[in-house]
Amino acid sequence: MANNHLTGIGSESKQLATWYFTFAAILFGAQLLFGLVAAIQYVMPGFMFEVLDFSVARMLHINALVVWMVFAMFGAVYWLLPDETGIETVGIKIGKLLFWVFAAAIVVVVLVYLFIQVGPADEMSIWFIHEGREYIEAPRWADFGIVVVALGFVANLFLTGMKGKQTGIVTVLMADMIAFAGLYLCGMFFTDNISVDQYWWWWVIHLWVEATWEVYVGALAAYGLITMLGAHRKVVEMWLWIEVTMLFGSGILGMGHHYFWIGTPEYWWEIGALFSALEPLPLVAMFIHVLYDWGKTQGEQDAQGQELSVIRNKPAFTWFVLNAFGNFLGAGIWGFFHTLPQVNLYTHGTQFTSAHGHLAFFGAYATILIGMMYIAIQGTNGIKIMNHTRSSIWSVSLLSGGMMGMTVALTIAGYVQVLVSRAQMGATWAGYFDGQSGMWFAQAMDWRLIMGLVMFAGFALLAKDFLTTGKNPVHQR
Amino acid sequence: MAKRSVWSDNRFWQRSAAWITGFASVLLIWLTFDTMAQITIGTDEDLKNGVTKRVPSPTVINYKITYEMSTKRGHEVPIIGGNDGQGMSLFQEKEMFFGRDDWSEEEATELLHLGKLGSQVKNCMNCHTLLGNGAYYAPDLTKAWLDPQWGPNGSMQAMTGKNTKEEAMAEFLQNPSKYPTHARMMPNLGITAEEAKGLVAFLKHMSSIDTNGFPRNFGKIEGAVHGK
Amino acid sequence: MIDPSVIRPEIALDAFLPIFVSSALVLVFGGFYVGIYTAVKVNILKKWAMPFAYLFWILTAYCLYTMGSLMHVGDFTAKALVIAAIGLLLLPHAVYYMQDRVHKENEH
Repeated sequence: MANNHLTGIGSESKQLATWYFTFAAILFGAQLLFGLVAAIQYVMPGFMFEVLDFSVARMLHINALVVWMVFAMFGAVYWLLPDETGIETVGIKIGKLLFWVFAAAIVVVVLVYLFIQVGPADEMSIWFIHEGREYIEAPRWADFGIVVVALGFVANLFLTGMKGKQTGIVTVLMADMIAFAGLYLCGMFFTDNISVDQYWWWWVIHLWVEATWEVYVGALAAYGLITMLGAHRKVVEMWLWIEVTMLFGSGILGMGHHYFWIGTPEYWWEIGALFSALEPLPLVAMFIHVLYDWGKTQGEQDAQGQELSVIRNKPAFTWFVLNAFGNFLGAGIWGFFHTLPQVNLYTHGTQFTSAHGHLAFFGAYATILIGMMYIAIQGTNGIKIMNHTRSSIWSVSLLSGGMMGMTVALTIAGYVQVLVSRAQMGATWAGYFDGQSGMWFAQAMDWRLIMGLVMFAGFALLAKDFLTTGKNPVHQR
Repeated sequence: MAKRSVWSDNRFWQRSAAWITGFASVLLIWLTFDTMAQITIGTDEDLKNGVTKRVPSPTVINYKITYEMSTKRGHEVPIIGGNDGQGMSLFQEKEMFFGRDDWSEEEATELLHLGKLGSQVKNCMNCHTLLGNGAYYAPDLTKAWLDPQWGPNGSMQAMTGKNTKEEAMAEFLQNPSKYPTHARMMPNLGITAEEAKGLVAFLKHMSSIDTNGFPRNFGKIEGAVHGK
Repeated sequence: MIDPSVIRPEIALDAFLPIFVSSALVLVFGGFYVGIYTAVKVNILKKWAMPFAYLFWILTAYCLYTMGSLMHVGDFTAKALVIAAIGLLLLPHAVYYMQDRVHKENEH
């Protein structure tokens, strides 16, 4: 970011955060773009056939997703670290160097995905093209690069946390981020046994998105409530510990719901059903958390007789509230209704999963990370009270409205698949295509594409707002 | 100041978080040991001695595989080399795989290795689902080997001009866009004859994995039943 | 071509929709119950809204029952569902009590 008003303690760390956020926002745009290509292919199968096939577009779509979120997560930590610890981040120079290493590696990986796409079936392809394992396709060389960068990031966090003031939020982040980085190692080996392969693959995917990332979101929400509302740190941090207890208590063994059908023993049915039924509870708790702190702080403000809002950053707060709600809706509701084995037998591997995946990633992660970007814009531009602009309102409405519409469309498509392809046709090749050619399915895919375009428009406005809102006179300085 | 209660004490919750996380993690690791023991790939000896494994030896490609109801388990299970009538495999009936039914453990392992590598390098999972995981743009491959489409009554053998399931599959994999079945086609991924063989072995092996009855009623229902 | 011994759907074809709807509603109503309860307690909503919170809890329990019976859940799961319903009833009370405690302790 060119015009940086950052001064004082932590300005270096905050500057690095803005780099991470900027790169993350660009990748978010790339994610939507490749998502659109894949969505078009559902409607017009010949689109870019053997040029940019669905497999490649979809790989770019989900990898851009994971990477932009990781970038934004790192960025958010670099942003909040000086505020929490009261000191500049230790080893920030190395942190900045690693940012460039990370960003350069991502660009190389993307170029290889785009222009090489597939190789011969040998180890070299796994090392230098991609690993072909959903979400963690990055080639082996990049795996090692990611580990190095993640270690550097964790080192920054730990050294700063130990030297400065170690708040509850920082403690949770330290424990969480080491697990987050360590779990990646589970996805870095090759095996001929697909059951073993998927067993460990879920250690990365599940323990990221349903455990460590959720805890990370809890910590970020805690920071946000203190920064934006001035909520009591003691209350917020107690909440955070309760959330960690509930999230890890349900999420770690909730892993069982991925082990119903991959060759693993039957006892995972009971374990998976029980713990994943508990998984929505912490999400409900996170929702009350926001409601509670908002009500309490506003109530105290009102008691002083002033009709003033306690919210210091309206766009960020909107995204944080959407996060609390979207997490519950996407991860909670859309997750819960296909998590029990009796139902999952028919819904596993249908567009239901896709509907859940879209809404959960957006609701649980995209929202809060966009909120953090707004907090960073507020900070970099020295804004006291940040207000909505026309484009911030439109972008939040289009992005979340588009996502909701897409989720409903995919859910309908999934329902058709469950009834036709699964329950009636027994999941064969013929059954699959009978489901896909049904009128309801086809129309759902049309609507998904339309909603994707709506989201893209929302993203364009979001980008515009990011670039211009800092100078907008509506904010109080 | 109100009396301090344990419930409103941060240290209490901090410790609870640590204990519960630790307990859940230990339980998960313990279950992982048990599961790993159960899903480790079996040996050729197991097959010869009639030992049922959740993930059998790669030499399972020498046997006839079906997917049948087990009354004991209440769902379908892969049956290797014939059914004993109770839903248990007999490991008797062999089946030719590319003209042979005597693939040694070493050869079969090598073939499976090539196939598994191929399945990743060719990015199968970003269109298809494997064991139900992956993308939803193309059919699930968990039991693809058993799909009636590829059997003697299916259309794929005639279409590719081959007489056996494995040859038809291998031919299709090498020239997918030559044999389109729907407007949505599989792209040409530069799969060689050897890689195709490996991939078919990988698919046949995958169909022998005990997936606790997923997918339900696979290949039992022929002909479309639209609506109710 | 259907061998009757093979087709054993645990879930009847026309039961899928009610299952999805009821399980989604479990959480929607559950969320309303918890949300309204908390909102009334922190004075975002007026006191008269409280009975609606409990009404939503009743709806939650009913949906849980519907879902469980349509899925033909076993004895163990049935018990777990009853406990879950009671747990949900108590949850916001316990949480609010604790929060309020912490708040009071820290306002001095």
